[in-house]
Amino acid sequence: MLLWQLSVNGLLAASVYALVAVGFGLIYRTTRFFNFAHGAVFTLGAYLAHLLYRVAGLPVGLSITASIVGCALLGVLMEVGVYRPLRRAKASELALLLASVGMFTVFQNVISAVFGDSTMALRVVAFTGVVELLGARVTVLQLITALVAFILCLIVTIVLWRTRIGNAVLAVGADPYLAECCGIDSNAVTLQVFFFGSALAAIAGILVAIDTDITPLMGYAAMLNAVVAVIIGGTRNPLGWLIGAIILGVAQHVGVWKVGSHWQDTIAFSLLLIFMLVRPNGIMASPEMRE
Amino acid sequence: MSYAFHVVNLVGIYAILALSLNIVSGFAGLLSLSQAAFYGIGAYSVALATLHAGLPVSLAILAAMLATAAVAALVGAASTRFRRDYFVIATFAFQVLTFSLFNNLVAITGGPNGISGIVQPRILGHTLTSSRAFSGPILALAFSTFLVSTWIENSQFGRILRAVREDEPFARSLGISVSLFKVSAFAISGALAALAGGLYATYITYIDPTSFTFAESLSVLTMVIVGGLGNSCGAVIGALLFTLAPELLRAIGIAGGTAANIRQVVFGMCLVVVVFLRPAGLFREKLARRKVQSNGI
Repeated sequence: MLLWQLSVNGLLAASVYALVAVGFGLIYRTTRFFNFAHGAVFTLGAYLAHLLYRVAGLPVGLSITASIVGCALLGVLMEVGVYRPLRRAKASELALLLASVGMFTVFQNVISAVFGDSTMALRVVAFTGVVELLGARVTVLQLITALVAFILCLIVTIVLWRTRIGNAVLAVGADPYLAECCGIDSNAVTLQVFFFGSALAAIAGILVAIDTDITPLMGYAAMLNAVVAVIIGGTRNPLGWLIGAIILGVAQHVGVWKVGSHWQDTIAFSLLLIFMLVRPNGIMASPEMRE
Repeated sequence: MSYAFHVVNLVGIYAILALSLNIVSGFAGLLSLSQAAFYGIGAYSVALATLHAGLPVSLAILAAMLATAAVAALVGAASTRFRRDYFVIATFAFQVLTFSLFNNLVAITGGPNGISGIVQPRILGHTLTSSRAFSGPILALAFSTFLVSTWIENSQFGRILRAVREDEPFARSLGISVSLFKVSAFAISGALAALAGGLYATYITYIDPTSFTFAESLSVLTMVIVGGLGNSCGAVIGALLFTLAPELLRAIGIAGGTAANIRQVVFGMCLVVVVFLRPAGLFREKLARRKVQSNGI
């Protein structure tokens, strides 16, 4: 019974991990570098919504929408201002990774300096109900969060595999120059990926902010989980990211049963190292292999 | 006056740390995000060896260097199997894991409370306590580390590391055991990082996990990248710049949490700017000292 409750908790956590991982994975898949700044976008989504709703006093819906769009534009700005010029200068994926780590540090610390390190809450909705799922108790808010997150992940997967836009993204991810030869505007596709990927990170940040609370370090944890989920799931396959997130979430929460919750990072990164050593390509193979 | 000596000591410790990372990231070209983990393993080993095993500080530091070299060799053997960005992720994973172990193994490390009352070294019958007394040994060790690093830079070993960095298949075709050289670079780098950690522990007499975070690893990497990857002088100057900069903030009256944030913002910005404008760093690596003689036809 306890095990079931813990597994459900793990699934609920996994939904948010998956949302961050899908954005992170999309960017990795398209541009071939680990965009650590993704974690900062997640944090900024939560703080921006908080700022607009609590401080500026805008309506809930408008605050959340504005925050998501703002973060998506920030993602675009990072691509246009930093990553694209670096790629044009023939910088390696390591240079891009370093630049993104640098930006992550800058954003996280600016947020921490402006808003302070104390936790804040963005309680915009007063759902207090609790439902039972086969005996596991879940709040309505958690259930909505999980549904929103999983549905968005599925939409991304379907768009990627079944539409022209998705195929363009796959093509740019496979070879940007060859994609250009086929009439695909690689730069535009990459921009779209940054826009939507960053929007997903912001949505995840806001969902976490509504359900629990906001701290400047929340993006660091989200980014750690995204890295782990994307690598253990397989970097080329969006369904893999989802499965990676679920394995991670369930492992972390079932782990709480035996050891304390402060061991979650240890569990996540032990899992990552085991996967990297034993199955470096992740659980799901690349979809191109089938195509 | 003791404040000035304190800053000098910090510069010395960070110089050792930056030089140690430069061996792996500069000469061998493996960008590692785990230097603070080795630094921490060294610091905790020294703290535990002096407090629980009763070793004198000098022996404890030697033991810590050996132990950390062994750990670093293992990490190197495991992580250098991966290609470029996966290698970074592997070292990042080791960094996060090590930090979580420092934080969670409360019975050994004291968890978030850390370890206090670490023994200070006795030299010629005097126990070193003041910043001033420490500055001599720390600077001497930093200088020795610099000599070791420049020696590696100009030695056969260093040249082979660079050959592996520039063209691994070619190096392999010359019969070089690539993984052996990478693992050795890791072991030496780990030992030197442990030296810095041990000095830090015995100098401050108190350690806790927050000194050995991912941010710290990133700071050290920033020092080396801004100073110039592969250049020992660059690593030292990077350490000097980035240790003095936060003290300037203190001088103009910004302290506490905001100062820590500003310090990190400066580090992050420098990293982005250098990657952008001057990827080789302030001081470029010195290469091709000897001219190739042409014999005509």
